Amino acid sequence: MTACPRILALVAATLAFLGGDGCLWAIDFKASIAPILEAKCLSCHNDNTRKADLSFSSPGDLRADDGLVSAENGESLLWAVVTPKGDEGPSMPKKGEPLTKEERVVWREWIEQGAPWPAGLTLKERSLVDDSWWSLRPIRHPSVPSTASLEFEPEATHPVDHFVYRSLARQQLSPSKPASRRALIRRLSYDLRGLAPSDEEVEAFEANDDPLAYHQLVDRYLASPSYGERWGRHWLDVVRFGESRGFERNEIIRNLWPFRDYVIDSFNWDKPYDQLVREHLAGDVLSEDEPEVELGSAFLVAGPYDDVGNQDAKQAAQIRANTIDEIIRATSEAFLGVTLGCARCHDHKFDPLLQKDYYAWYATFAGVRHGTRTLATKLERAQFENARKPLVERQSAYDRERSEIEKVIASRFPALLPEAESEWIRAPIERQLTEERFSPIEAKGIRLSVLGAEHNPKARSGYRIDELEVWSDLDPDRNVALLSEGSKAFGSSRQAEDFDGAYSPNLCIDGRFGERFIATGPELTIEFGQLESISRITFSSDRTGDAIGQGIAGFVCEYRFDYLTESGEWKPLVDSFDRKPINENHQRHRLYQRSIQPAQRQALSQLAEKSAEVRRALNAVKPLRSIWLGQHDKIDGEAFHVFRGGSPERPGEEVYPTSLSTLSESNGYQLDRTASNGQRRLAMADWIVQKENPLTARVIVNRVWHYHFGRGLVATPSDFGAMGIPPSHPELLDWLASEFMDHGWSLKHVHRLILTSATYQQSSEWRANAAAVDGNNQWLWRFAPRRLSAEELRDSMLQVAGVLRRQMGGVGFKLYRYLQDNVATYIPLDEHGSETYRRAVYHHNARAATPDLLSEFDCPDSAFGAPKRASTTTPLQAMSLMNHAFTIDMAEAWASRLETMYPDDVTRRVRQAYREIYQREPSSGERQEGILFWSAVGGRAFCRALLNSNEFLYLN
Amino acid sequence: MNQIGHNVSARAARRRMPTTLDAALDRRSFLSDVVTGLAGVGLANLLAPSGLMADTTGSRANSTGKAKRVLQIFCPGAASHLDLWEHKTELEKWHGKPLPGEEGYVSFQGKNGNLMKSPFPFVTRGQSGKKISSMLPHMAAHVDDIAFVHSMHSKTNTHGPGCVFMNTGHASEGFPSAGAWMSHALGAENENLPAYVAIADIRGEPPNGKANWSNGFLPAKHQGIMMSAHKAIRGITPKGINRDEDQKTRDFLARLNRRHAERHPGNDDLQARIAAYELSGRMQASAPEVSDLGMESASVRSFYGLEDRNPLKAAYAKNCLLARRLLERGVRYVNLYCGSRASGVDGLLNWDAHRTLKSDYERHCPIFDQPTAALLTDLKQRGLMDDTLVLWTTEFGRMPTHQEGTTGRDHNPDGFTCWMMGAGIRGGVSYGATDAFGRRAEVNPVTVWDFYATVLKVMGFDHEALTYYHNGLDRRLTDVHGNVLSAILS
Repeated sequence: MTACPRILALVAATLAFLGGDGCLWAIDFKASIAPILEAKCLSCHNDNTRKADLSFSSPGDLRADDGLVSAENGESLLWAVVTPKGDEGPSMPKKGEPLTKEERVVWREWIEQGAPWPAGLTLKERSLVDDSWWSLRPIRHPSVPSTASLEFEPEATHPVDHFVYRSLARQQLSPSKPASRRALIRRLSYDLRGLAPSDEEVEAFEANDDPLAYHQLVDRYLASPSYGERWGRHWLDVVRFGESRGFERNEIIRNLWPFRDYVIDSFNWDKPYDQLVREHLAGDVLSEDEPEVELGSAFLVAGPYDDVGNQDAKQAAQIRANTIDEIIRATSEAFLGVTLGCARCHDHKFDPLLQKDYYAWYATFAGVRHGTRTLATKLERAQFENARKPLVERQSAYDRERSEIEKVIASRFPALLPEAESEWIRAPIERQLTEERFSPIEAKGIRLSVLGAEHNPKARSGYRIDELEVWSDLDPDRNVALLSEGSKAFGSSRQAEDFDGAYSPNLCIDGRFGERFIATGPELTIEFGQLESISRITFSSDRTGDAIGQGIAGFVCEYRFDYLTESGEWKPLVDSFDRKPINENHQRHRLYQRSIQPAQRQALSQLAEKSAEVRRALNAVKPLRSIWLGQHDKIDGEAFHVFRGGSPERPGEEVYPTSLSTLSESNGYQLDRTASNGQRRLAMADWIVQKENPLTARVIVNRVWHYHFGRGLVATPSDFGAMGIPPSHPELLDWLASEFMDHGWSLKHVHRLILTSATYQQSSEWRANAAAVDGNNQWLWRFAPRRLSAEELRDSMLQVAGVLRRQMGGVGFKLYRYLQDNVATYIPLDEHGSETYRRAVYHHNARAATPDLLSEFDCPDSAFGAPKRASTTTPLQAMSLMNHAFTIDMAEAWASRLETMYPDDVTRRVRQAYREIYQREPSSGERQEGILFWSAVGGRAFCRALLNSNEFLYLN
Repeated sequence: MNQIGHNVSARAARRRMPTTLDAALDRRSFLSDVVTGLAGVGLANLLAPSGLMADTTGSRANSTGKAKRVLQIFCPGAASHLDLWEHKTELEKWHGKPLPGEEGYVSFQGKNGNLMKSPFPFVTRGQSGKKISSMLPHMAAHVDDIAFVHSMHSKTNTHGPGCVFMNTGHASEGFPSAGAWMSHALGAENENLPAYVAIADIRGEPPNGKANWSNGFLPAKHQGIMMSAHKAIRGITPKGINRDEDQKTRDFLARLNRRHAERHPGNDDLQARIAAYELSGRMQASAPEVSDLGMESASVRSFYGLEDRNPLKAAYAKNCLLARRLLERGVRYVNLYCGSRASGVDGLLNWDAHRTLKSDYERHCPIFDQPTAALLTDLKQRGLMDDTLVLWTTEFGRMPTHQEGTTGRDHNPDGFTCWMMGAGIRGGVSYGATDAFGRRAEVNPVTVWDFYATVLKVMGFDHEALTYYHNGLDRRLTDVHGNVLSAILS
């Protein structure tokens, strides 16, 4: 391609023509052309995305490439792409409808006029909806509609029912009759406590005909500590709480559990929700000296992040941006139900959220870093320092004394050197090949004892060996140490438990180089297949020489070989003491051994004892709590920018910590560069929980509704935008939101409102005619049956087996083995010990750990917030629940408990089992069947079947 | 050698031709390429199964796909394009000299030294005359059937996100892998076996583990089921319970559940769960048959290398044979891994040769070469290759320079090789290329999204139409990107 001077001239001419202001616009650009560009071109051709390297946000690209507007052959590309070709239709727009005939007419005229563009005008792709979208409109406290005209039985008396019944009537549906007492108490107990009601509770409730009995039950369950365990777990889903770092290394986080307890406590105390939000976002700056408030801010760092330590600056910047992105998404989705993350690379395509808004939040969170921080009151800190100070001083005094003695020892080195050197007659050891020759001996094996490693003469482990050969005296080419010769190698090595061959001593005798035994002890023993006559040993850590100078092939330096005689005795063979030292450090170590006097040795050992004593005392000082709260960088007037296209390498306009532009008309805020890290987050939190914010209360009451009914009034609980599903009962949603705010943001108040409605208490019975109209039950003509969650399932199995431990809080239990070998690996346990017999909310919730029953039954992995759990049905669930040792253990424990209760009475065992797991009596047929099965196949089999049964797994 | 696709992309062109005018002219030529290419996309749109955008429940059979199932071989750790698949004469000439323009470049682990040629010679193979590393003598038999894509580039230089990106089209966890998308879109072919199986290496799981075969936000039944020759499907049999007790318990349970379902009409979940228990029972019965490699003839076993003295090679060979048995029985998508995670020593357990590339690859190549080649030959001989698409992937490439102070190579997300063969693929071609030294994808750069847009095309889907709503968006395997590589399609 050559640049054609004619085109250049043309471009210049066109630019000159357009430069003048006095043009007469034959076409109204804003009225005719801009809408076409905005609706049909800009989604791909904007300043950010620049598909085909073109943007129609401004006229720049039209001017830069005249072929777009007018080509030499007269055919403009802008025209060509929108014109239908034969049967194929136009090639542009790629997505959506082609230009209409009328649009093509003005388009053509515009091109023929040279595609003029009003000076200074920039276009933007319009989001699908604007701020008149339902969720962005203010919440008004709606009045409760009258349902007097409806002929429902019974009549609505509860405000919630008025709203629901009115919608039902509109769909020509009617509510269901009330659920049975047994169904109701089972439903409520699981709903509020995550556990089945006890046998006694069921009986008492069924027998109690006080009209207020149900209300009392609601109050009692709301006051139960199990309520926090159940509802706290819901919230942990929303805030993507995970106790490992995620990504490749996925190291476990051992000190985030206090946040889980904080959440459980907050729900149990009915902490006002606005306060909870403020603590989550800015607990560290809300009030001074209140660790329990500060703890809430662990929310910021409860998500996954990449800590691989990338040295590539561009990638490191991108990773940092991803980390902040994670916090932005989690925050916007959890509290506001907006998907602000979608505005990272460009303005939100569907909702009125700007890229600028996204980066305003970036500026808000820019100081947050993942990590550990001390959580303590000022008093605790002072006490801690006071206790440590004298000990630390003593420690340094001992250190000074020791170094004085060592100086004296070293002062004699020059005098000792000549004699020592005369004894060092052999070549130093070599990584690539070190050889020992000796007169032939008969041996059953050899042992290498390492007295000093290459990297540190005092270390007796950590050395590596890639191969060690022992040569036969009779057949000098025969290496008798090989695995294939029947030899075996022993020695403690670094472990990779998911692959035990990774660093094993066998690598020394496998006949291959490159893989190394990594020792964690001083000895490597090789036992031969038979008695051998040997006369030579060769060994190395870098036989191929690929790893010259690299730590990965760190070798031994001081060693001794022994051999195993036919009679089973170990006898000395050769050692390294007459070799030259490999470096200055090793030479000093040898001289030190020659120089040190008994008195000095004694003094040093006394000092070491004293030091150890101080260390013990230091360790005994009660440490301050160190918690995964994140660390907060200072922000010193630093400027933050939009990243164009989401790339940190393409900074755009400056941004400031600001409220979302679409909701800022009346109560927005904007801070400037000087605002501190804490002020930024506090301003955001205060703005989120303003009563005027139309999203916050709607989003949380909808979550509560979602968990009670299995489906929110808005069925997409973390997306109240245009891609979400609009509310089925908008007025009910607003009524609940208003009631919620008017009652001090109390969640328990919302629970009571919902649970005391007839809508909640109605039967789950299926009716074909209603299902034909509303199969999804979005109009609530019945209570929707649901499957137990993973936690409810596991907790109930423990409960029914009689082994559930009710200990609340503290360090979590693990259903996996944790391995760390550079990266972390989580291996699900085949057997669950009794230390795991706690409620599942106390499981150490590591990412990617996939503990069978929990992950199979849809416990989220917490890579993202999980506003809605899936409720899947898979063959893997069947395998887990049938075959995992946990089920079998629970079945055995339950059966043996029933046998102990009724030693001679299978009938009563069967009856009791039904009452405990289904909260009902068996029918006589069921009882007969149960007795037969129990007697013929056994109690364990009977219980295992019940634990897998749908009646147990589903709630009505 | 049939080198196709010589168009230099606009991006690569801008780097070499920085003047505005050149860029403008180049953009125009690129644009016209795009325009002519669009008709095809429009057509594909029309042909694609309709209604997939709304499909969140079932699965559907495709009628237009050339392949019915996929075998994806994954060599984690960033298997070096420069030491396996893409020969660079210039790299040999410039060995020991600094990389022009990027002297002392700091990549993932730190500073780079000078250019380093491959320690292994490249050898001309097949009718197509493709040069591949001498370390892959068995794979040589297949080069005429392979479409190499030499111009892959990734957006991350970190293994975990890289593997997840290569498998799911997204660098962060939580998205469905290609196999899960296929299970979702096509369902199972054999109802006694899972639709999607992941075979991890005996040395452990790849970087980021199970996220690589996750169902993400798709329903859980689409997750890859882990099985291998060395590890049965988890929970496939109950421990300490004999077959008789187990069968009686299942029968009793089925009676309980059927009665319960009769009392509760209108709840499809109850029926689905009954079916799931039946399927798990059938899997319990049929999985041991699939995994029983003893049923294969001695010649097949030695052809794959099952009895090799190197236990790692024998273990991988067994997994290769298992993969064939799974594909043969109608498993829709098999993910086969050769290598595992990062370990205490770089490059020990996978292809991550940071420090001693030569000895690392002298260990890894023999494990990979014969069993993989045997698997491909076996698929051909049994006619399975006619409707199976084979992918070879890794998460990114390696630097043409050596890492300072070592004889290894650091991570290089800017250029690497993947390949395809089998149903719907034009063999014996090399698409795209990195620059003269192998540093960056230069000729026809290809993204992971382009790669999967092509895979989906071969499977009969328009990658833009296969979507699933999640957290505010209709999500795709190809995110919001992807162009089909028509040039490698047959």
